[in-house]
Amino acid sequence: MIKASHVSHFYGAEQVLFDLSFEIKGGEFLFLSGESGSGKSTLLSILSTLLKPSSGELLIDGESVDKIKNIDYFRQSKVGFVFQFHYLINYLSVYENIVLAALDDKKHNIKKILKKLGILELSARYPNEISGGQRQRVALARALVNEPKIIFADEPTGSLDSKNSTIVYGLLADALKNGTTVVVASHDMRIENYATQIIRLKDGQIL
Amino acid sequence: MISLKALRKTPFKSLLIFSSITIAVMAIFLISSVSQGVIGMYSKMIKTDGDIIITQKGISDTFFSNVDIGLIKKIDKLESVASSYGMIVGASPIGHIPIAGIYGTTANHFSHYKLSRGEYPKDGEVILGANLAKQFASQSVNIGNKRFKISGIFSSEIGFEEGGVVMNIEDAGRLFNRSASFILVTSDSPNNTDNIAKKIALLDDEIEVKTTQNFVKEYNQFKIIENSSLVISTLAFAMGLMGIASVMSMIVNSRKEEFGIMRALGKSRFFIIKNLFFETFIMSVSAYLFALLLSLGILALLPHIEMLQGYVNGTLSLSTAIYVLASTLFMALLGSLVPAWIASKTDPILLINQGCA
Repeated sequence: MIKASHVSHFYGAEQVLFDLSFEIKGGEFLFLSGESGSGKSTLLSILSTLLKPSSGELLIDGESVDKIKNIDYFRQSKVGFVFQFHYLINYLSVYENIVLAALDDKKHNIKKILKKLGILELSARYPNEISGGQRQRVALARALVNEPKIIFADEPTGSLDSKNSTIVYGLLADALKNGTTVVVASHDMRIENYATQIIRLKDGQIL
Repeated sequence: MISLKALRKTPFKSLLIFSSITIAVMAIFLISSVSQGVIGMYSKMIKTDGDIIITQKGISDTFFSNVDIGLIKKIDKLESVASSYGMIVGASPIGHIPIAGIYGTTANHFSHYKLSRGEYPKDGEVILGANLAKQFASQSVNIGNKRFKISGIFSSEIGFEEGGVVMNIEDAGRLFNRSASFILVTSDSPNNTDNIAKKIALLDDEIEVKTTQNFVKEYNQFKIIENSSLVISTLAFAMGLMGIASVMSMIVNSRKEEFGIMRALGKSRFFIIKNLFFETFIMSVSAYLFALLLSLGILALLPHIEMLQGYVNGTLSLSTAIYVLASTLFMALLGSLVPAWIASKTDPILLINQGCA
């Protein structure tokens, strides 16, 4: 599914990832663990095509990311991303935030997903009119709407309380059951319970 | 439409852009309109009252020109000359008014000034333009060191005249120590004006004879006003446009996080640029129309402001309006689309992080 070969990354002169190579198979739940500054968020951004690595190669379904002709369509159709701070667009309603991400032939999923996540009644509200937990569920709905092959989540429960965190983990586990590959970067060790593969990072290297 | 939602959801930023575009556009409109208005009034005054103008040779300003009024008799005898009159133009304190225009003219030109009250002036008398007359309740007025009886009030479409005084050319000659500033000649054969001008030029070595059309085109004072206004309005406009471009650029930079999210969701650069284009277009055109309306309103009020005595008038030409619209759109789009294009080429996660910084 995803194969990283000799991936390194620099921010300016500072190297944050050192020659990482690993493979993630389809239908796995990969937990990227590590302390703050270990490089897990950077690695997640690279794996999800949101950041080009300084060196190394990334293959998704056997195709090099550098050679994907329409990276925008690839991101929209194959990848779902959940950020720690949800990153919803403030001037769009809950429903419009999800419509923005949805492919035309997947828009019929929106209400179904909102209902499943228990936020259908929030459709017309704006991000600043709902709670942090509700926002994160909207972000998850946005990531799931196109039925992506892979979901990437960066500290998805970082800003949530225990109750909302459990809801989010459950939703990611549901996605896994449906055959979606899930990659989560977090320092929350409770995710180990859901993970089928764990990569521990320290100072940009795999332990 | 996302563009409209973005504008509505960020009212302060939208108002900031709207205001800066409005002020910049109004600056160019008002500066260029007022200078065009000043030129328009004076050239209308000359063009409508004659086909040929005679001024003193080598004197570039009609205020300093001195032509022998006696030439009128010789001119009137020339073939195809319908009429001619002399005029002295000057400026002087009038009563408590620090400065106003004074027009001394031969009696055959009095009918140009439409009397709303009283009679045309005899020796020692003046008629006041309607705007100036509002400043005087008395029956007489001091001009220079002499007191003149007010014999009537006149109205004129030309703001300069409405704020001025008309008197006999002889009285004006004594006031300004000259015979006539210029002589205007009307031909009964408009196609023959060049020939008549040549014949008039032969009458006196000290005169310069031009068709009024050419005179208006070449008049130095108009060139000075035009050039000054061009420089001032260009500077004001350039500053305004740079302001527009800066504000747009700052606003685009403050939205990097949003663009990063869109790119992370798989939205193309074209999608981002297209929406920003519509936002900028809607904002610029609405601010432009608002500025246009405000400017037209102010220009319409100018002739009625007593303090200005009708001297400040504005004319907004279609070409200026189109030029300003094109420049406004260009700079606003340049200021927003270039940084947006550069930003959209950055990796989405870096854009999001820059936006948070």
